[in-house]
Amino acid sequence: MDEPQEPRDEDFLVQPCKYEYLDHTADVQLHSWGETMEEAFEQCAMAMFGYMTDLERVEVKQVHIVEAEGEDMMSLLYHFLDELLFVFSAEPFLIAKVVKIVEFDWDNFKIKARACGEEFQIGKHSQGTEVKAITYSAMQIHDRPEVERPEIFVIIDI
Amino acid sequence: MVVRTFEEEMGYLEKTSEYSWRIKKGFQPNMKVEGVFYVNKNLERLLIEELRNSARPGSVGGFLPGVKQIANVAALPGIVGKSVGLPDIHSGYGFAIGNMAAFDVSDPKAVVSPGGVGFDINCGVRLLRTNLFEKDVQPVKDQLAQSMFDHIPVGVGSRGIIPMTARDLEEALEMGMDWSLREGYVWAEDKEHCEEYGRMLDADPSKVSMKAKKRGLPQLGTLGAGNHYAEIQVVDEIFNKSAASKMGIEAKGQVCIMIHSGSRGFGHQVATDALLAMEKAMKKHNIEVNDRQLACAPINQSEGQDYLKSMAAAANFAWVNRSSMTFLSRQAFAKQFNMSPDDLDMHVIYDVSHNVAKVEQHMVDGRPKTLLVHRKGSTRAFPPHHPSIPVDYQLTGQPVLIGGTMGTCSYVLTGTEVGMNETFGSTCHGAGRSLSRAKSRRNLDYQGVLDKMKEMGIAIRIASPKLVMEEAPESYKNVDDVVNTCDAVGISKKCIKLRPIAVIKG
Repeated sequence: MDEPQEPRDEDFLVQPCKYEYLDHTADVQLHSWGETMEEAFEQCAMAMFGYMTDLERVEVKQVHIVEAEGEDMMSLLYHFLDELLFVFSAEPFLIAKVVKIVEFDWDNFKIKARACGEEFQIGKHSQGTEVKAITYSAMQIHDRPEVERPEIFVIIDI
Repeated sequence: MVVRTFEEEMGYLEKTSEYSWRIKKGFQPNMKVEGVFYVNKNLERLLIEELRNSARPGSVGGFLPGVKQIANVAALPGIVGKSVGLPDIHSGYGFAIGNMAAFDVSDPKAVVSPGGVGFDINCGVRLLRTNLFEKDVQPVKDQLAQSMFDHIPVGVGSRGIIPMTARDLEEALEMGMDWSLREGYVWAEDKEHCEEYGRMLDADPSKVSMKAKKRGLPQLGTLGAGNHYAEIQVVDEIFNKSAASKMGIEAKGQVCIMIHSGSRGFGHQVATDALLAMEKAMKKHNIEVNDRQLACAPINQSEGQDYLKSMAAAANFAWVNRSSMTFLSRQAFAKQFNMSPDDLDMHVIYDVSHNVAKVEQHMVDGRPKTLLVHRKGSTRAFPPHHPSIPVDYQLTGQPVLIGGTMGTCSYVLTGTEVGMNETFGSTCHGAGRSLSRAKSRRNLDYQGVLDKMKEMGIAIRIASPKLVMEEAPESYKNVDDVVNTCDAVGISKKCIKLRPIAVIKG
């Protein structure tokens, strides 16, 4: 795990909300979208963090660089979310308010992202629902021209 | 992928008796055996509705209904008997929740699938008894609930208070409840009343990733969130007096404590790691499955063995976890009543695992066979005289603990010979969801749910306000329907009904 970094000015820019939670019997389905695939990925990460706590109460105090790699788009998305879940579940217990993808390598399915937020503290932060794992179940990634904007569906196990 | 209408789909389902349905081959591709599921009228309606909603061609998003998932599991290599859906079945990932399936260990093609165990490995239920009665607890139940809430770390982001180093964790993973016993957190007789005596012997911590250990260490001894809970319950009804007496339950009103939790982030990561490893293994061994979440590997190949060894370590983690909370609950009661846990007779009645895969002996076509039995949202329910159940329960059959949801009743059932023959000694595990979490939050009102709890005389302490709606009784199938169906089919029999008076949740 990299050392935490000091936030830069752009890390404080809270992204507009482009995600929603859809019905699923046992778990929850995240649905996110954006102008670009990068944005849809970022929004999907925010949807996950938003399910764990009220992001309004999270301040940007530190930044962790998260890297993920896959064999195709789906596994890339899976690993991207899984890495972010890991930085929350173990040291540094980071709850991210802003996730910004800085590198998106379409050919080798690699992502480098800045996860900006602070250490989760009971008392300061509300306790939402715990995310156990990311799943491939009914995972869908849609891109132009098939749809009018990039769109993602992921079921998280809770 | 064939697209069929709902009516065409129904052609593959056949009602064979009042409580059971047969899923014929062809419902999903490559089915090696048939499927079966057990439901009463109310539960049937929910399942069929789920199928109807999914049979809408061209819809975006969506997920596979439970009955389709039973059929996908029936297509896995090496499956024997039937793919079984228990009455509380609902859609999960890969396997449905409430699905059990057995695989022939001697068949080189037979597989183990982490999706057949679930992310929360060895999620389970433990029941403690006390010699207190409702009249002793009612006046102080709010203080008790608060005390339990203060003692047990609950909810998202909570960390364990039992001191643990990385080395302790390694030992705990290997030793399970023997570690808890050595460290003084449990009593020797607690182990007797756990499946596998609280320790899976083939656990191998070296097969577990660093990532899993890092997630596990801070979370040992925490309850978790979601449907996990600790409850103070009172005996509401006794169906089988002699069996109840064997469990130390003498009369209505007796107070018990139920703990429902699992292997926390540790197990979740073990499962995640295994799913990824198995995706590769499937390519290597040329295994085709109907659903990517059904990733699996041959039992007897290294990938399968490695998973079973790390799964066993996660199972041990879960037992240590429930044991740590047993310790904390005993402390909370001891302080409140100013008596030792021993004087309060706070023994473990039993501890069941409802997300696990185990090697067991079963009869298949009249012959004994060694099978790997996957139970996901399904509880082992062995009959009387089975060698794997403790001496105390040899005559009654294995106690089966069925946790209700916030505010609803829980049950103790006992295992039967019918279950041994029909479902490889398996029965239901709980209520099973009926409303999605999102729908619960939209349709139910926070204060309304809490008021209702108060009306029912239930003290509640909950870390997350959202969960109040998500876990409200309205969000679940009726646990009475589920348990009565199991009882009517005969795969387990009702013994004790328990009613909650205090709920502690994430």
